[in-house]
Amino acid sequence: METQVHELVGAVHDAAWQPWAVQYFFLVAISVTSLLMALPAFVFGKSADLRAARLALMVAVTTGITAPIALLADLHQPFRFWEFFVYTHKSSWMAWGAWIVPSYVALMLLFAWAIHRPEFDRMGQDDWRFAWLFRLFSLGGASNGFARPLGMLAGLAALGILVYTGSEVMVVRARPLWNTPFLPLQFAATGVVGALGVMLILERMLCRDGALEATLNRRLALALALVAALGGAWFAVAISGVSPVHSEALASVAGFPVWQQIALWGAASVAIPFVLALTLPRNTGLITGLIAIHAAWMFRWTVFMGGQAVPKVGSGLYDALMPTGVAGLMGVIGTFGLWVFLMIVYTTFVPWSGDAADATPSARTSDQAPRKSASPQEI
Amino acid sequence: MTNRRNILKGVAAAGALGTFGAGYAETVQKLARGKWSGEKPRDEHVVGNSIPPEFSVDPETGDVTLNPDQAMSYTMCIGCTTMCGVRVRVDKAKNKVLRVAGNPYSPMSTDPFIPYESSVAESFAAMAQAGPGQGLTRRSTACGRGNAVLEQVDNPRRVLKPLKRVGPRGSGQWQTISFEQLVEEVTEGGDLFGEGPVAGLREIRDLDAPALEGAPEFGSRANHLVWMNCVDDGRDNFVLRWLKQSYGSNNFTRHGAYCGGAYRSGSGAMFGDFKAMPHAKPDFTNVEFVIFAGTAPGNAGNPFKRIGNLVAKARADGDLSYVVVDPILNNAQNGPSGARARWLAIKPGTDGAMAMAMIRWMFENDRYDAKYLAQPSKAAAEAAGEMSWSNATHLVIVEPDHPRFGHCLRGSDMGLSIEGEAYSETDPFMISSDTGPVTGPVPAGASAAPLFFDGVAETQNGPVAVKTALTLLREEAMSQDMEAYAKDCGIPVEKLTDLAREFTSHGRKAAVSSHGGMMNGSGFYNAYALMMLNTLIGNLNWKGGTMIAGGGFPENKGPAYDLASFPGAVQAKGLPFGRNVPYEKTSEFKAKKAAGAAYPADAPWYPNAPGLATEWMSSLVTGYPYKAEALIFRNTNPIYGVPGVAHLVDEMKDPAVVPLIISIDPFINESTAISDYIVPDSVMYETWGFTKPWGGVATKATCARWPVIEPKMDPNAEGERVGMETFLIAVAKRMGLPGFGDAAIPDAEGTLHPLNRAEDWYLRGAVNVAMIGAPVSDASDEDIALSNVARIADDLKATLKPEEWRKAATIFAKGGRYENIERSYQGDKATYAFNPPMLVWNEGLGSFRRATTGTRLPGTPAWRAPEFADGSKVSDHYPREDWPIQVISFKSPLQNSYSVGAKSLLRIVASNPVNIGRDLAAAHGIQTGDMIRLTTPGGTLESVAVVRAGVAPDTVAIEHGFGHRGFGAEDITIDGATMPGDPRLAAGVLLNDLGMLDPTRAKAGVWVDPVSGTAVRHGLPARIERI
Amino acid sequence: MDTTRRGFLGAIGQVTIGAAASVAGAGQSASAEGTDVPHWGMVVDLRKCIGCQACTVACIMENAVPEDAFRTHVSVYELVKEGQDPAMVMLPRLCNHCDDPPCLPVCPVEATFKAENGEVLVDASKCVGCAYCVQACPYDARFINHETQVADKCTFCFHRTQAGLLPACVETCVGGARNFGDLNDPESEVSKMLRDNEVSVLRPEMHTNPNVYYIGLDDVLDGRVAGEAAYHPEMADAVQHHGEGL
Ligand SMILES: Nc1nc2c(c(=O)[nH]1)N[C@H]1C(S)=C(S)[C@@H](COP(=O)(O)OP(=O)(O)OC[C@H]3O[C@@H](n4cnc5c(=O)[nH]c(N)nc54)[C@H](O)[C@@H]3O)O[C@H]1N2
Ligand SMILES: Nc1nc2c(c(=O)[nH]1)N[C@H]1C(S)=C(S)[C@@H](COP(=O)(O)OP(=O)(O)OC[C@H]3O[C@@H](n4cnc5c(=O)[nH]c(N)nc54)[C@H](O)[C@@H]3O)O[C@H]1N2
Ligand code: SF4
Ligand code: SF4
Ligand code: SF4
Ligand code: SF4
Ligand code: SF4
Ligand SMILES: [Mo]
Repeated sequence: METQVHELVGAVHDAAWQPWAVQYFFLVAISVTSLLMALPAFVFGKSADLRAARLALMVAVTTGITAPIALLADLHQPFRFWEFFVYTHKSSWMAWGAWIVPSYVALMLLFAWAIHRPEFDRMGQDDWRFAWLFRLFSLGGASNGFARPLGMLAGLAALGILVYTGSEVMVVRARPLWNTPFLPLQFAATGVVGALGVMLILERMLCRDGALEATLNRRLALALALVAALGGAWFAVAISGVSPVHSEALASVAGFPVWQQIALWGAASVAIPFVLALTLPRNTGLITGLIAIHAAWMFRWTVFMGGQAVPKVGSGLYDALMPTGVAGLMGVIGTFGLWVFLMIVYTTFVPWSGDAADATPSARTSDQAPRKSASPQEI
Repeated sequence: MTNRRNILKGVAAAGALGTFGAGYAETVQKLARGKWSGEKPRDEHVVGNSIPPEFSVDPETGDVTLNPDQAMSYTMCIGCTTMCGVRVRVDKAKNKVLRVAGNPYSPMSTDPFIPYESSVAESFAAMAQAGPGQGLTRRSTACGRGNAVLEQVDNPRRVLKPLKRVGPRGSGQWQTISFEQLVEEVTEGGDLFGEGPVAGLREIRDLDAPALEGAPEFGSRANHLVWMNCVDDGRDNFVLRWLKQSYGSNNFTRHGAYCGGAYRSGSGAMFGDFKAMPHAKPDFTNVEFVIFAGTAPGNAGNPFKRIGNLVAKARADGDLSYVVVDPILNNAQNGPSGARARWLAIKPGTDGAMAMAMIRWMFENDRYDAKYLAQPSKAAAEAAGEMSWSNATHLVIVEPDHPRFGHCLRGSDMGLSIEGEAYSETDPFMISSDTGPVTGPVPAGASAAPLFFDGVAETQNGPVAVKTALTLLREEAMSQDMEAYAKDCGIPVEKLTDLAREFTSHGRKAAVSSHGGMMNGSGFYNAYALMMLNTLIGNLNWKGGTMIAGGGFPENKGPAYDLASFPGAVQAKGLPFGRNVPYEKTSEFKAKKAAGAAYPADAPWYPNAPGLATEWMSSLVTGYPYKAEALIFRNTNPIYGVPGVAHLVDEMKDPAVVPLIISIDPFINESTAISDYIVPDSVMYETWGFTKPWGGVATKATCARWPVIEPKMDPNAEGERVGMETFLIAVAKRMGLPGFGDAAIPDAEGTLHPLNRAEDWYLRGAVNVAMIGAPVSDASDEDIALSNVARIADDLKATLKPEEWRKAATIFAKGGRYENIERSYQGDKATYAFNPPMLVWNEGLGSFRRATTGTRLPGTPAWRAPEFADGSKVSDHYPREDWPIQVISFKSPLQNSYSVGAKSLLRIVASNPVNIGRDLAAAHGIQTGDMIRLTTPGGTLESVAVVRAGVAPDTVAIEHGFGHRGFGAEDITIDGATMPGDPRLAAGVLLNDLGMLDPTRAKAGVWVDPVSGTAVRHGLPARIERI
Repeated sequence: MDTTRRGFLGAIGQVTIGAAASVAGAGQSASAEGTDVPHWGMVVDLRKCIGCQACTVACIMENAVPEDAFRTHVSVYELVKEGQDPAMVMLPRLCNHCDDPPCLPVCPVEATFKAENGEVLVDASKCVGCAYCVQACPYDARFINHETQVADKCTFCFHRTQAGLLPACVETCVGGARNFGDLNDPESEVSKMLRDNEVSVLRPEMHTNPNVYYIGLDDVLDGRVAGEAAYHPEMADAVQHHGEGL
């Protein structure tokens, strides 16, 4: 018997996880996937990949620092962050995350430092204005044999992040859109997409090396294919009805025009860069990169804000999907602000490109930057 | 160059960092605040900001331990006209009401209510979990609104100082003035607004000059002060003393004419009293079947909470099934109760058709209580074991040209020798003899009489055609067939017969109940017809049937003090401003008659109605029958509440029309907004007053209200808080009116006591309430402490006699006086029975001539399509082809007309989109959320549509309580400072903006029911379009 | 964390099919019967609810619930079953004080806990405001209190029951729909109601073992309600922004 229901009085619930949370999940995924992409070159000596790896490391470091700060901002009691380490509730993925995140950030930074230590040391030896700084950076030595084990540990921590972030969201049975085993995989795959997107943009701005661009684009295509496959599988499982959880997830949003638009939009943001990256791997990096970043970000926005817009007991949708308010917007922009700042610092002070190893420092005057004017880090 | 690049880079970095800072400023702030980034709650562990419990009750002993910071007092809610007894919890230090619950002594809030003898401590324990039935049995409640209206006390837009308008009336500009200036200006008049001289109250009170030159029937010029009042909130006796006995004006009205007046008049027709308009309510607890037609139990209704509670319990735990006959489905129905609670859609304004169809079916199928109806007198009824009786068997003169047409045939008509005057109470009613016309009529005696007779009576002036009242009713019912009735009301014949069958299948344990839904163009007859169904099954005064309320313990006339009379009182005289008297009493009638054509009068007159606020609006703006010079609005808001009044507001704003308008009110509502002065008044828990239930309570109950917090209004020069009483006393003293001052209130010995403060009146009123019958017991020290009557103990002791004050204290400690619930019934009969006969034929109704037409109306229930004042059908003016839909109003379950300022309510329901049925919506391509425009002959409004299944065909229903312009919905400027309008307060729409003027009236007046003169808010002809 | 369990399961033999799932497994500690420790529960008789929202407002007043949040509210629905007249359903909603509360295990810092009498509570001084519990509750029963910045929810009026009083919403329930008491006491009103009526719970499929039971709950309303949502006007000029954006 069919029953039609019309809610006449109902409450609206605000989204409790706000744009900062989206930013966190976005950035941390980019960071860990970048780091993982940097490891083959740095740890396993796949030297052909070194240029991409350096970009990846830069991305990993900058986003890896930004992400936990966004996370802190999404806490309503940020000052109480220390409690995470005092009362670890073992049944909570978030509690585990509280240990994994700092471990990851620390290991990742140590690893990056170790990679750059010889360079720091060398720059500390030169006679220029900031030499003292680099002497400090290098801790008075150049050896970095521990980079490899650090890298492996950081890699493990990165996997830990992927597991915990995915699980933390996946276990929430109350939100059918989240409560799917696909989600951690999708987080990881879209993380790769986002990371490659950022790398592509940076490549275009800092390296302008067509070959590297093409490599990254090809990898992006692969990652997008994976995302598409996962999305397709999710949809297929949901439609088929073999998994009630998935069917419920689909049912919870199907039928709402806004979600149909999101689905189309999402598909387009996967398909367009995929086609571009495959067919025109060169000179499209800026576009594919931007769309890729957008896709990775939108996936999370949709999952988090969209997921929270689905009432658990009431009817219709809350309008959490498109939260208004200047503060929320500022949160998103502010996070990017921090990242841009870190990028400037990184490119300014870290001999990230490895070119330094070959380039001979020229005469430096006191008011000159450490690198020659043409150095790529001077963006 | 590198340098510039570095600078650029630095700038970029700084910018990026700045953006970060902006986005994270709050995080930083939160971090900086340390452990509590928000406000640290009162209890930092478990219950946060929950307010500390008012007291604790030991689960073992039931002992009550008070929270010394809080006071618990029993007083009254005025969140709506129900006026429930409630328990108010006050933060003593902050003088702030924290929360409100019910008063377990009060039937308005608790069922079953606790015995009056219970101590206050016991009353506290009764509602506690540690109490009997885990506190559930005696739980005592306030409704959603009742829980929220405490916010009205601290409403930032409350008027706390006297205000005087600046600039034109209604411009929203005010200045504060001192109380003394207020009193001086309104009393003495003068050029108050720089617009020319205005007569003050002193000048208007000319008891010698006529109200209308050449028409002594209208009394003196003092009648030019007219007083509009809301409901009796328990202070009306004070007002009436001032207005009628001291000032000498006879013009006082309440809101009945735009509340449920049509129902009350229709009911009054049957109960035989058009002025007091008695009405009965079902005995909700014991009745088995009820038809709610035009009242929505649990959605609104009066007493709202009590009916909601009793109906809910009866449908779940008891034997009640009911049908809500209503154009819109609302909270009165309850899905989980299944067939116990049903909804039946009806076309607006057509209940008369439904009821007459049921009556027809009952006649055709002999399903009326013949034994009951056959008793022609009280004696006969008693002999037959009946609890009431009717005039069903009385003979009515139906000879059209007979001078007593429409009247009942009496002994004197037959030439019988009678005691006393002809047609007085002692003049017997005539009934048909058993054998009918052959032997002729006989006086009604102590035994049953024939129900039907249609023939001729040989009176002393010759043969006269007569019929029994029931015959006339049957004829009226038979005048239309079932199909025609069904078509008119939109209820199929099978459903009509099912309804009639079910109604007549429960003996006397069935009832019809109605109220606000009768406020349509045929409301009076619809109501009369619906109520007649009760009489046809003889359910009055029976347990499980219908009952008149037990009433209350009056405060104004009691064994201790006489508050109702005093030396020097004047007698207010004159026909009332609202024309609710026979036109034939006027000089106009006489003059017109002499001129050859007595009819039509210049405007309608309504002899079968009580005071008519709605018609006052017409009288005010047209100056007919005479011009008012000063108008007082007290806690009333006709400019919001009367449909169509918007058409008269411009005139009301013109000082030439009504030169002086004074409002006594705590708020600037739509009506006080157009006044010249506002006298600040107290809000609920700050006021005094005594009320009795509106109905629905079988026992005597008087609810006492007293200031349980310190009132917020500014004090006057003498240190008294400004308010209605302070104002009236000050004016009276300034004018030297009788009845106020040091020697004003006589006690039982005739000793005069002062009336200088509100307390002088109300505390003595409390003594009266306490002393009626067996006096209440003295309040113990503990009662006084627990109920915080300690707050007023000094006043009690100073004002009252030593032997009185503890009795009065009991009244306040327990929030009134309540007869115990066991008094509800005597066996299976109501303790407080209504004794006069039920009128199947109402002589007054059946014999009068409409002033505007000179024609007559049926004296028995009838189904009549809506008419305008000139007798023409509304549908002739506004045909269905042009006005295909009808708009109705229904009460908000949450809001009432003035609760919008209680902000907690708006967060639950923020607006009132209009309800449109599916078919109608589909026909116009309307979907939920679409904007629509409604147009009636009276106006248009635009709103959001909600498409629902539960709306009758071709009907649009609008929830009442939104669409405000007052209360802060629009800007208010006081002393140059503007408080901007809050759009949340203005949310939604007001049906009354669609209300219409009667196009057939020469003197402007809103469309009213032709008999009861009451406002029409249902069934407005309209058009709808999507925009 | 140990969850105290109700011990009178014999009494709930009449739970409807859907609900049976949710109460299955809660039967172990019959030993609790006869103990002095109450296990609070609520039985909401939907046949008695008149949708007056007294409970909603009383809760707001009693518990200083900030704007834009509710610890409890009453949803109002119009239901049209095929071939039947439309009907009204008023559905009071509040925290179920689940015996297996999904909000509890996710709390990273053990701020959410189950109290001795079965209440699921939040220690505000410990809560970091991560809102994970808000996500995890299948009933939308929790929220972040924008004044205190910590997780907030119905406490079953812990402060009142401790003082021997009824929860505010129960005390003021006009229709008598909300009933509260000790589920461990077979003689309590609520236990009797559970015995004498068919009851069900919201979202039985979540296996949360609620302590809030409903009489007369229609299946179509026991989970996420598929239907048209209530109209909420945009009050553009009066939108409330909380401290932390959004
Ligand atoms: N919640 C709440 N309770 C209140 C009040 C309030 O504002 N809010 N106000 C109080 C006051 S002052 C009063 S007078 C009472 C009034 O209480 P009620 O009389 O119960 O309320 P109304 O909404 O005026 O009218 C009752 C119903 O009549 C329906 N109706 C309209 N036209 C028709 C018709 O032609 N035929 C039939 N059969 N029904 C029709 C309306 O849709 C409405 O549902 O309530 C009191 N209680
Ligand atoms: N369309 C439509 N119109 C209707 C109705 C409807 O259902 N639909 N209902 C009708 C009915 S039933 C009625 S009874 C009338 C009501 O209409 P009215 O009797 O004219 O007045 P209210 O709007 O109740 O206004 C009473 C005023 O008292 C003031 N007031 C509020 N609280 C307090 C207080 O605590 N103390 C004091 N001293 N003053 C206070 C406020 O300013 C308030 O405006 O409206 C009628 N109009
Ligand atoms: S019904 Fe509600 S608002 Fe009206 S008086 Fe009673 S408690 Fe107050
Ligand atoms: S209803 Fe939600 S908040 Fe309450 S105990 Fe269950 S899961 Fe937790
Ligand atoms: S918001 Fe507070 S109670 Fe909820 S999970 Fe986070 S720390 Fe625990
Ligand atoms: S038990 Fe208390 S906190 Fe919970 S909903 Fe009721 S009033 Fe609110
Ligand atoms: S107070 Fe009771 S009757 Fe009123 S809405 Fe709440 S649960 Fe329903
Ligand atoms: Mo009314």
